[in-house]
Amino acid sequence: MRLALAIASLLILLVHGSVFFQQFFFRWERHQTAYFDQAKSLSKNDTERAALTDRSPRIEQTIVTQFGEQRVDRCITCHVAADDPRFAGHAQPLKSHGYSAALGDKKKDNGTWERRHKFADFGCTVCHEGQGRGLQTHYAHGEDHYWPEPLLGFVTQEPWRKDFLAHLKGKEYLEVGCAQCHTEENFAGTPTIAKGRQLFFANNCYGCHKVEGISDGTLGPNLSEAGKKFKIDYLWESIVEPRANAVNSFMPKFNLKPDEVKALVIFLKSRKGINYTETGLERYKLRLADAAKTEGGPAVAAKTLTGGAELIDKFACTACHKLDGKDGGISPDISYAGLMRDEKWIHDHFRDPRAMMPDSIMPSFRFTEAQFQAMSAYLAGRKTGVPAALAGEALYKEVCARCHGAKGDGLGPIAIYLDPSPRDLTKTSFMNSKPRERFRKSIQEGVPGTSMPPWGKAMSEAQVDGLLDYVEATFVKAKRSGQKTRKVPETNPVAMNKASLERGEGIFVQRCAGCHGRKGDGKGPNSLDILPRPRNLRNAQFVNSVDDRRLFESVLYGVQGTAMPAWIDYGLSQNDVGDLVNFIRGMNQKGRK
Amino acid sequence: MSEPTAVVKKPKTFDRLRVLPQEIWSSIFRHPLPDSDLGRSQTSFTNFFLHIHPVKVDRHTLKPWFTMGLGLMSFFLFVILIVTGILLMFYYVPSTQQAYDRMLDLRGSVAFGTFLRNMHRWGAHLMVAVVFLHMCRVFLTGSYKKPREFNWVLGVVLFLLTLFSSFTGYLLPWDQLAFWAITVGASIAGYAPVVGKQMQFLLLGDTAVGQEALLRFYVLHIAVLPAVMMLLVMVHFWRIRKDGGLSRPEAETAVAAVAQEVPKPKKFGLQGLVRGPVLNAGSSTENSVYSWPNLFMAELFVFVFTLAVILLLAMFFDAPLEEPVNMTHPPNPAKAPWYFLGLQELVSYSAFWGGVGIPGLMVVGLLIAPYIDRGRKGVGKWFAKERLLANTLFVSFAILNVILVIIGTFFRGPNWEFVSPW
Repeated sequence: MRLALAIASLLILLVHGSVFFQQFFFRWERHQTAYFDQAKSLSKNDTERAALTDRSPRIEQTIVTQFGEQRVDRCITCHVAADDPRFAGHAQPLKSHGYSAALGDKKKDNGTWERRHKFADFGCTVCHEGQGRGLQTHYAHGEDHYWPEPLLGFVTQEPWRKDFLAHLKGKEYLEVGCAQCHTEENFAGTPTIAKGRQLFFANNCYGCHKVEGISDGTLGPNLSEAGKKFKIDYLWESIVEPRANAVNSFMPKFNLKPDEVKALVIFLKSRKGINYTETGLERYKLRLADAAKTEGGPAVAAKTLTGGAELIDKFACTACHKLDGKDGGISPDISYAGLMRDEKWIHDHFRDPRAMMPDSIMPSFRFTEAQFQAMSAYLAGRKTGVPAALAGEALYKEVCARCHGAKGDGLGPIAIYLDPSPRDLTKTSFMNSKPRERFRKSIQEGVPGTSMPPWGKAMSEAQVDGLLDYVEATFVKAKRSGQKTRKVPETNPVAMNKASLERGEGIFVQRCAGCHGRKGDGKGPNSLDILPRPRNLRNAQFVNSVDDRRLFESVLYGVQGTAMPAWIDYGLSQNDVGDLVNFIRGMNQKGRK
Repeated sequence: MSEPTAVVKKPKTFDRLRVLPQEIWSSIFRHPLPDSDLGRSQTSFTNFFLHIHPVKVDRHTLKPWFTMGLGLMSFFLFVILIVTGILLMFYYVPSTQQAYDRMLDLRGSVAFGTFLRNMHRWGAHLMVAVVFLHMCRVFLTGSYKKPREFNWVLGVVLFLLTLFSSFTGYLLPWDQLAFWAITVGASIAGYAPVVGKQMQFLLLGDTAVGQEALLRFYVLHIAVLPAVMMLLVMVHFWRIRKDGGLSRPEAETAVAAVAQEVPKPKKFGLQGLVRGPVLNAGSSTENSVYSWPNLFMAELFVFVFTLAVILLLAMFFDAPLEEPVNMTHPPNPAKAPWYFLGLQELVSYSAFWGGVGIPGLMVVGLLIAPYIDRGRKGVGKWFAKERLLANTLFVSFAILNVILVIIGTFFRGPNWEFVSPW
C-alpha cells in the first residue's frame, strides 16, 4: 500500500514538473531571446541596444478590427523580426517579411522601404490565413486538421489527399487574401484569380453555379461562399473528381490541366461572401448593381457580339457540346441540330432545356433574348448533314458511339450525363423482343424527351439501315427469334375518368412506386440499384410520344433486359393496366406539372 | 508585618513565543498524531473532514476488491472537476461569438490552459465511466438492499445528474463536435411523446442549438447541476453512515444486529431520543479496526491514484477541439457524446423506443430495483449465489448497454451505416 502510494505520488510530482516546465519555457521565448541577442549585435546605435536589453520575452499581438470579424494575431510573437529589414537573410521564424513594389511598398529616398500593408493595421491572417491566436507552430499554422484555414499555399493538413499535396502549395494561393479587399476584376496583384474567373466562364461553370456578383446558375451548388466553407483540397477534389464527395453529382469531369484547376481553386477559395473593405450599405448597393450585371450574361464584352457563331464560341457551348471539330466531351453533338430541329425548338430549348428534355443537366442560361435568337438562328441555319460517304461502322463511330459506346453497351463517354441513359445495344433479350421497325423509327425520328435526336433528318435512309445492320450484326449477335404475338389492345379500353385515375393511383403506389417513385419521376427507392434506370413517367415529351399499345405491352409483358417485370404474372388485369395507363397519361397532361 | 511577597514569576515573552506555533497548531488540530486507540478515535471524531467517517470500520469494508474504491473515485473526480472547472470559468465566456476564441486562447496562450481543459475533459469522461462501474459494483454485491434502498435511489439520480452534467459541458467549447453532438442529443429528448418538443425547447431555449442553448447549458453546467449534485452527494454520504456503513456479508450483519442493543445511556443525549434505523450508526462489530490510519490511508491512496491517472491522461492526450461551429455543414455521421451513443444506436432503429421508451424503462427499473428485489440474502458478496437471477439480469443489461455504446462509437460510419473500424 505504501509503495503504491509512493509511486502514485511520484507520478503526480513528475507530471507537475513536466507541465510546469512546458508552461514556463516556451519556444517563442527562445525565438524572442535569440532575436534580442542578434538584433543587439546588429544594432549600431546605443539607444536601440539599451532598449533591446530592457525587453523581455512576452506575447506580442495585433488586434485587427477593420477586416470583417475581429482578429487576434499573435504571429509576431514568434515572427518577431517580421518588420526588421536586417533579418532578411535569416531562417524562419526570425526572417523579416520581404518588401515588394507589387505589394504596394514604397522605396524611400534613403533606400529604406515603407510598407503599404503595415502589420499593426492589417495583422497577418488577413492575407495569410492560419490561426492567429495560436502560439505553437502546429496550431498557429493550422496544421491541426480541424482548422478550416491553414496558412495559404504553405501548410497542408494531414488528412488531405497525398496526390494533391504538390498542387496545394505555392505563392499563388496568397492571392486569395489579396482578393478579399481588391475585388476588381483585373487587379494586377491577382492574376491567378483573374485566370480562374476566366476559366469559370470558359468551362461554363457559370451556367450551373451561382457566385454572387458573377453568375447565377441554379443547377449546381451556390459557390458564393465556397472559400469560407471548403478547404482547398476539397475544392480541388470536387473539380477533378466531381463524384468523390457527392456520389449523385452530375457535374461533368472537365478536361483541365493542373494549373487550370489551381487557378479555379484559388478563384473559388477567394469567394467568401464578404468583402473586408465594404460597409453594409455599400454591399447592398453592390448587390443591386450585381443583379443588374448578371442579368445580361456573364461577360460584358459578349453583349456587343451579335453573330450567333461568335456567341456560341464566347459562351463556351463547346466546353460541353460537340460542334464540328470542337468537343467538350459532356453533352450531345449539336453539329446537325439545324437539320434535326427547327429554330423555334432550338430557341425554346435554350430558354428552358428541361421543358424539352425533363432530365437534362443543361443549365438555363440567362442570356438576352436577342442573344438566344441569334444563337438559335445560327444553329438552325447550319444545314450540313452527316457525310454521305460514312456508313456502317464508321458512321456508328462518328455519331452513335459518343453516347452508346464503341462497344454498344450504352456506356459512351458522355453517357453518365444523359438521363435517360443511352440504350444498351448489347442486351440481346431487349433487342430481340422488339421489332426492327421500332429501332428504325427511333433512329429516324428520335425519341422525344431524351437525348436521341431524329437522325433521319441528317442522314439518308440507306445510312440508317446500314447502322441498324451494323448494330444487329456487331452487338446483338443472337439471331432474332420470331416475335411473340401478344394480346394487347391498340388503344386503352378503360375510359379516362376520376374513378379510373384513383384506381390507377392506388395500383401505382402499390406496385410501381418502389422503382418509378411516388411521383412517377423514376426516382423510387429501388431505382439506385437498377440499370437501365426506371423510366421517368413524368417525362411528358416521352410519354406523349408513345402509344397505348406500347405502354400496355411494357406493363403487361415487361421490358426484357430491364428490371421491369411482366405484371400479368403478378396479377394485374388488362383493366388494371388501363387504369395505370390513364394515371400515367393524367400525370403528363398539359396544365399539370 | 512582613509578608513574603508572593513571587509570581511572569512567563517570559520568549517562552510565550516559543509555544506559540504549538498553540496555533493545536488550535487547528485538536489532537496530536494519535498513538493510542483513544487518540485514534478522538482524531477521527474531532476533525471536521474526518468526522464523517466512523471511528472504527469493518475489516470487510477495507478489502480492496470489495469496493475497488469506485465510489470514492467518483467523488474525487467530482472534486477535481469542480476545481479545474472553476479555474476554467475564469477564461470562458458563454457566447457564441467568443466561446470558440476562448478555447483557442486556452489552448494557445493561457498558462496551463490546455492542461486544465484536458484534466476537465478526461475527468468528466472518466467520471461517467466510474460512476457507472460504481453502480455495477453496488448492484452486483447486493448492497442496495434494506436499509440501503434509498441510498441506491440517490445513487441512480446522481448517475443521471453526472450524465447530464457531462452532456451540458459538451456544448461549451462551441466547436463542430460540441454543436452536432448536442443537436443529436437534444433531438433524442425531442422523441418523448406529448412533451418531447416542449422539453427540447425548454432545454435549448430555441428550436435549434444556438446562443440561448449555450447560455442555458452553461448555467446548468456550472451552477445548477453541481449544486444539486453536491447536496445529493452529502446526503449520499450521510446515508452511508446512518445505514450502518458499507454492506457486509450476512453473518456479520447478524452480529451487528445483536450489537445494536446497546444499553441506553442514563443521560439521554439527542441521539438517545432518536429511534429507528438511525441506531445502525452506533453499531460496531468485533471484526473492526480503527479508521485511523487504516481507512484514511486507503482513501488517500484512492485519491492519489485518481489524481495520478487524470494527470497522466491530461498530459498525454489533448482534449479535442474541432472546427468552429458551422450550422450548415453537419459532419456525417453526427454523433452524440459517447455515453449517449447506445441511445443513438437504439434511436436508429426506433425513435420512440430508442430515445425514450427503453432508456425510460431502464431508469425506472434501476430506481425501483431495491423495492422489487427484497430478498435479504446475498448482501455484501460479489456475485452471491442467492442473487443469480438479479445479477444475471443486471449484467446482461449492462453488457448490452456497453455493446451498444461500442457499436455506436466505433462501428457506425456515414449515414449511420455499419463500418469496420479497421
